[in-house]
Amino acid sequence: MNVNDVLTAVLVLIGAPIIGCLAAGIDRKLTARLQGRVGPPLLQPYYDVKKLLSKDNMIVNESQNLYVVVYVAFMILSLLMLVFKADILMIIFVYTISSIALIVGGMSTGSPYARIGSSREIMAILSYEPVLILYALAIYLVTGTFKLSAVLDASTPLLMYTPLIFIAMLFVLNIKLKKSPFDYSTSHHAHQELVKGMLTEYSGPGLAGIEIGHFYEYVFLTGLIFVFWTVNPLIGVLISIAAFLLVIVIDNITARVYWQWMLKLSWTLLLAISIVNIAFLYITKPTLV
Amino acid sequence: MSLAKSPWIIHVNCNSCNGCDIEVVACLTPLYDAERFGLLNIGTPKQADIMVVTGSVNYKSVNVLKNIYNQIPDPKVVLAVGACASTGGIFHDCYNVIGGVDQIIPVDAYVPGCCPKPEAIIDGVVAALSILENKKKGNIRGKEVKLKGKEVASNA
Amino acid sequence: MMENTVMLLITVPILFSLLFLVLGKSLYKILAWAFFIFGTVFSVLLVMDGTGRFEITGSNFAMIENVVLILEVLVILFIFFVSAKYKNWPTLGLAVIVAAISAYSYMNVAAIESASFNIDQFSQVMVLIVNIVGTAIILFATGYMDEYEEHRHLNRQKTFYFTMSFFIAAMNGLVMVDTLGWLYLFWELTTLCSFVLISYNMDEEGINNGFRALALNLVGGISFAIAIILLSTKFNISTLSGIGTEAASATVVALPAALLCIAGFAKSAQMPFHSWLLGAMVAPTPVSALLHSSTMVNAGVYIIVKLVPAFAGTSLGTAIAVYGSFTFVMCSALALSQRNAKRVLAYSTIANLGLIIASAGIGTPLAVAAAIMLILFHAISKALLFLCTGEIEHTIGSRDIEDMSGLIKKAPLLTILAALGMVSMLLPPFGVLLTKWVSMQAASQNPIVIVFLILGSALTTVYYAKWLGTIMSSTMDKNVVTHKKPETYFPLSFLGSAIVVTSILVFAIYDYFIRPQVETLLNAAPVISGQAGQFASEIGAFAYAAIFVVLALALLIYVATKNMFTPRKSSYYMCGENNLEMDRLMFRNGLCSYDKSNVSNIYLENTFGESKLTTIGYAISIILIVIALAGGVL
Ligand code: SF4
Repeated sequence: MNVNDVLTAVLVLIGAPIIGCLAAGIDRKLTARLQGRVGPPLLQPYYDVKKLLSKDNMIVNESQNLYVVVYVAFMILSLLMLVFKADILMIIFVYTISSIALIVGGMSTGSPYARIGSSREIMAILSYEPVLILYALAIYLVTGTFKLSAVLDASTPLLMYTPLIFIAMLFVLNIKLKKSPFDYSTSHHAHQELVKGMLTEYSGPGLAGIEIGHFYEYVFLTGLIFVFWTVNPLIGVLISIAAFLLVIVIDNITARVYWQWMLKLSWTLLLAISIVNIAFLYITKPTLV
Repeated sequence: MSLAKSPWIIHVNCNSCNGCDIEVVACLTPLYDAERFGLLNIGTPKQADIMVVTGSVNYKSVNVLKNIYNQIPDPKVVLAVGACASTGGIFHDCYNVIGGVDQIIPVDAYVPGCCPKPEAIIDGVVAALSILENKKKGNIRGKEVKLKGKEVASNA
Repeated sequence: MMENTVMLLITVPILFSLLFLVLGKSLYKILAWAFFIFGTVFSVLLVMDGTGRFEITGSNFAMIENVVLILEVLVILFIFFVSAKYKNWPTLGLAVIVAAISAYSYMNVAAIESASFNIDQFSQVMVLIVNIVGTAIILFATGYMDEYEEHRHLNRQKTFYFTMSFFIAAMNGLVMVDTLGWLYLFWELTTLCSFVLISYNMDEEGINNGFRALALNLVGGISFAIAIILLSTKFNISTLSGIGTEAASATVVALPAALLCIAGFAKSAQMPFHSWLLGAMVAPTPVSALLHSSTMVNAGVYIIVKLVPAFAGTSLGTAIAVYGSFTFVMCSALALSQRNAKRVLAYSTIANLGLIIASAGIGTPLAVAAAIMLILFHAISKALLFLCTGEIEHTIGSRDIEDMSGLIKKAPLLTILAALGMVSMLLPPFGVLLTKWVSMQAASQNPIVIVFLILGSALTTVYYAKWLGTIMSSTMDKNVVTHKKPETYFPLSFLGSAIVVTSILVFAIYDYFIRPQVETLLNAAPVISGQAGQFASEIGAFAYAAIFVVLALALLIYVATKNMFTPRKSSYYMCGENNLEMDRLMFRNGLCSYDKSNVSNIYLENTFGESKLTTIGYAISIILIVIALAGGVL
């Protein structure tokens, strides 16, 4: 570890939540504009977090905030690993730790609403996890290694060989950001039937932690999209931003679906197109150079 | 200032005729767009700052009101929206009505009207916000309201 | 030196089993502790003796060979006797076939002049598992069985401990002996012991399931016996390691290897044979823990991994890999639909054994390393989980996952241990996941296998996450049950710390045991370096140290900030209708009476239920086995 690495790590630690916060702000602003409203200020997510931190910590049991810390810690770790071009399969496993932490955190409160949300989120894992790992496999197939560095050193974009997996990953992005039509585990808009789902019992600083974790998660997930086009970072960033905006637009033009529906979608369509893409890679054996 | 920029409300309907509720929801529509102040209608008391109560309190709803009030973390304010919530309104002498919200829990601001206009409600929220700030500064905490379990339930 | 340790490891457990038979109930605890200490010390001693092989010849051999022969006859007679007594004709039929084959081989196969024991690193790992985890399970049983028998009005503890200890002796022999004839005896002895243990309750269900286990394992045994005859008549091979050496010299031993693998599939309860393992869940929990984590089922994968040189890189290997990964995904899917904790564990066991077999089938050095490591880590984690389930059952009186919600309030230590076991099965940095990671990387060359592994691993995450969340969910009711016996809690905590320690020392374990073993098997070792807290292969790196550090940091941060934000406790949100008087799980309904809120997990029974998948599983797995056999013949 040299000075440069440490600086990068610090930069990520500080920079990612800022970007994530802005992204969340853009999300809310854009949503408002799409609904013909003025919408909150761009920095609204920041104000929210600041407010939550100044509130009391209302808890149902002692351990519930432990899961929040674990969630944020591993969210940061997976982001750092992504930035340091580690093993993509490993990154996905680390990312799973944080997802599971949040789910168990929701369950641990014992609240019926949180448990409904958590069960649904577990189903979400069932839908996106295979696609994520197939994405890692695709990276291996074109570079011969699971280490991300190979993709970043290559001079051909990954997207050239994995267009179908890219499409599947857009759905994963949608599921993971918990945006409509897949916002059934926790959502601002579902409070009539779900209250706040998984996060029902989190308040004040605990919720602030989760929000900060979400900021990191925004950056992490769009980072996964960025990997598709690293040859020219500018194009990569543009693709990531476009993907993010697309998710927001979809969020606004669709209604919430059943989780069963999502499961069907992902285990038929998403898996099928990913596997077709993988099969194509096995047959043609391209190498990313 | 941090509190005033992101007021999250929880809306409790005690015994309302639904008139006030419609108006509260109207605040969130594009016409009034309360979200431009950062206001969100949040589903759970655990995450709320402002408790917006509509309707008078009756024996059936009194425990719900107290319970939800207790579940809001400090600092918090209570906003009574509509004549019913403020005083009991036209239902004040019904057999089952206890009265306005302030009979049960401390109320910080009242929005009169039957039903109040969305502008008035937003105005009430803004007023509540400055109270919220003061409470934060003075570290004023809401008391835990005692719930009467059996008694109230059997009265209903 | 080594010879003595080997002999002691086989004879002393038999001695212990006899002691259990002779001595009274009051001494069981002391005996179990002594057995545990013996097992730990002597398995470590064996490791310190190093690797090597030795032969038994001359008069010693003649004497032991006679004992072996007598025992073999006794085993067959015993099977005849019980199947006739309970009128179980299929088993009797199978026993007749076994007897016929044995008689045939006695007459036609040239007798061997010497027998050999082969202690390699894999045997050492297996001996460590069997003698440390296995005896810990027996120790647990001394704190468990009294209550168990009390509930069921049984008094068969003498048989129980006798068989358990005998099982460990048989297992020790199985993993150390190299001569196929003797291996077969130990193989059949474990089958027999498992029959006795599974039908422990002596009710109809128990006996039926015992016979199912016996019959299916006899099928495996027949396949084993035929393989021995083929090997000795056609190839003149009489040792397990001989198959590997022979295969290296380009002789085709695929058919006997395939037959031995089928014996292994039966023992490891792979798909068409898996019903015996599910049936075995009627037995007391220590039996499940012993059979399905550390001993019985491991015997199957042990043989298969030892046979790797015979099929590595061949079409037979590929067929085995596809078959194993198919079982992995199928049983993971079945586990998803189960509410009964023991059945979940049973399916999870079958699935993980499938993963081991898949890794062995792939046959690259990396994959074989993964297979051996998975045997080790899976044994520890699964033993812990089985024992925890047993203890949970005694604490709350149910093994239904849904009933376990709120467990963290009732038995915090037990819950945390169980949670550790589950987390070790599904999340990094623990060993099981590390090996899953390795096998995925190793399998990435084979499209079918890798896709199966990916689907299976997602399903695994789901069913464990569900269960984990349920036991960690703290409901509002207050009753705290605490009765902790050292005999039960010591093995649990011991296994729990073993999970953590082995996961931290994973590279050292790899370097000491696995790498040399893979080298012996395949003449090539995977390129793995352990620098900077990473388990790095050529194509990836598993940063386990970083995760441990972050985990520790997270705990520290949590403890430091715990009281920073004025925590205030309240009941959870029930739309304000919380029940105030009695059970906090209740809420007031529209009629002013109280209802219990009840949220259950999602089990997807309509998609992944047993009724939907089992038939398909049988069909496809049988087809895959036939393909494997055909590949073996051609
Ligand atoms: S104040 Fe008027 S509109 Fe509001 S609840 Fe009462 S009666 Fe209905």
